[in-house]
Amino acid sequence: MKTSTTPKSSLRAECDELRVRLEEAEDILAAIRSGEVDALVVESASGPRLFTLPGLDAETNRFRGEILAQISDAVIVSDGEQRVIYLNAAAEQLYGVAASEALGRAVSNLYSIRWRDPDDEAAEESDLRENGEWLGEKEHVTQSGQALCVESRVTMMREIPGMPRGRLAVIRDVTERNEHKDKVRVSEIRYRRLFEAAHDGVLLLDPVTGKIIEANPFMSQMLSYPHDYLIGKELYEIGLLKDAGASQEMFRKLKSANEVRYDNLPLEGRDGQHQEVEVVANLYDENGRPVIQCNIRDITERKRAEEHVKLLMAEVNHRAKNLLAVVAVMAQQTAKLGDPATFALRLSDRISGLAAGQDLLVKTEWQGIEMADLVEAQLAHFRELIGTRVLLEGPPARLASASAQGIGMALHELATNAAKYGALSNREGKVHIRWQLTYGHDQIFSMSWEEHGGPKVPIPTRKGFGQIVIGRMAEAAVNGSAVIDFREKGLSWNLSAPAEDVLALALGRPQ
Amino acid sequence: MSKRTITRDNLSEARILVVEDEPMLAFAFEESLVEAGYEIAGVASRVGQALKIIERGECDAAIIDANLAGVSAGPIASALAALSIPYIVVSGYSQEQQQGAFHGALFIQKPCGLGDLIRAVGGLFVAPLLRLPGAP
Repeated sequence: MKTSTTPKSSLRAECDELRVRLEEAEDILAAIRSGEVDALVVESASGPRLFTLPGLDAETNRFRGEILAQISDAVIVSDGEQRVIYLNAAAEQLYGVAASEALGRAVSNLYSIRWRDPDDEAAEESDLRENGEWLGEKEHVTQSGQALCVESRVTMMREIPGMPRGRLAVIRDVTERNEHKDKVRVSEIRYRRLFEAAHDGVLLLDPVTGKIIEANPFMSQMLSYPHDYLIGKELYEIGLLKDAGASQEMFRKLKSANEVRYDNLPLEGRDGQHQEVEVVANLYDENGRPVIQCNIRDITERKRAEEHVKLLMAEVNHRAKNLLAVVAVMAQQTAKLGDPATFALRLSDRISGLAAGQDLLVKTEWQGIEMADLVEAQLAHFRELIGTRVLLEGPPARLASASAQGIGMALHELATNAAKYGALSNREGKVHIRWQLTYGHDQIFSMSWEEHGGPKVPIPTRKGFGQIVIGRMAEAAVNGSAVIDFREKGLSWNLSAPAEDVLALALGRPQ
Repeated sequence: MSKRTITRDNLSEARILVVEDEPMLAFAFEESLVEAGYEIAGVASRVGQALKIIERGECDAAIIDANLAGVSAGPIASALAALSIPYIVVSGYSQEQQQGAFHGALFIQKPCGLGDLIRAVGGLFVAPLLRLPGAP
């Protein structure tokens, strides 16, 4: 036997390798014969090439292919190296790629994946490894940049000897479905929130049984019944309508009119508390089922406000007429002195003084006026003298409205008099206005008006209206006493009264 | 002091109680009454003050402001009615806003002319203008 240059051992190795390859080839052939392989990818110099196999029953295979082509879900089969070995018409359409371009190329050329949850990727791999299947939603971004929401079912292909296991993915575009679901969810959240946060009671009733099927939290709050107690009850059982008859009457009306309104119903809650409520009931169609919605509004506050307005109107009427009566007296008193022209001037001056006091009362809602504000309002004509020739000195003291009116009118008369005859009638006279609260057994409010540096004061020969205003009227207004002293160096006026008659309630008093 | 019978002939002896919380009006009522020749039984600005004067039997008629610093003068009207003392109610409220205590009383609306008021007071003694509850 001729001796070869090739060593015996290397021949043996080559032989072993060929044998192994032969076995592999026989396995593949066996798999092809048994119909387990529909296509083959063969590496070649020009890249991988795909060969589809007609299989044993070409007719059956063609039929299966036809079904897959017509299915509306995208079907993509990839090999162990994630290269596309099959895609149906729906997949071509979904990803905008022709089968001829996609086949044999990496799946990642069709789309890139955006995971909903970063953990999903690992979950898919582990599910596929352990169960051979994964189902979930993710986002596929196509080559054109379109983001698709997909529901994907991935199945590991049966093992083909000698080949890494491939994958079958059935992909459904759920973008629209998700958008719709999302809209429904947003809508549900939005209207649920309205229902839960409403400050009206809302009840849903079954028109057939007349029973409550849903109640919002405010309804529970209004009635002091827990939500679950309300469900299954009829309206009269929760104190809304007086009896079953009234309930039936409402349903009867609803059937004919679709809406029933009660402007004012008494509602009795669990704790026996009465409320006035307004009820609007509507009959609706809910996906083919009738349902009654009742909106129940607590109008107790509104009615109280209405009552309050009525009371205020009466009070305003009273005050206005009182004021007119005061003006009438002022006119009558003012008319006792001087000619018509002087009368008109004096009267309008007194009315403006009264009006200044009213302004303050309205501003403070009749809750009282600060003494300093009152002085400044009544001495508005001498505003520029305040701090120089008109000196104010006193603690915060909030006057009740009646005393504020009396003291205000007195200050007005004093100022008018000072401007005409007293300390404010020349260039250097001064007025000191002081007030104080002295604490003792009873708290006393006292105030004084003292003029200095004016012309000599003659003692008036007759008691005019001004003197009555700073005398007995001021006294009556504060339930106190007034002392007028026509001193030669200037007029002095003192008023003192129990603080409780002068000051507004709850303010300026020791506890 | 006991109750007197006042007629047209002894009008000037009539003592009138003025119940009014507005000092300016109280002053004007008082001044007008005095000018018309009446005596003043007192000027009250609160219910309690008025009741004291009535209890002392010192008044023959009264002018009452229906509302005294937000308090109804109803108790004064009741006290007067119980003693068959005639009175006039002066009020800034419309009559329909008044409450039951003044039912049947002679009302004068504010602002009223002082002349009207004086005439009304005189009328109290001339003819039984009022059917007072409890009056014989």
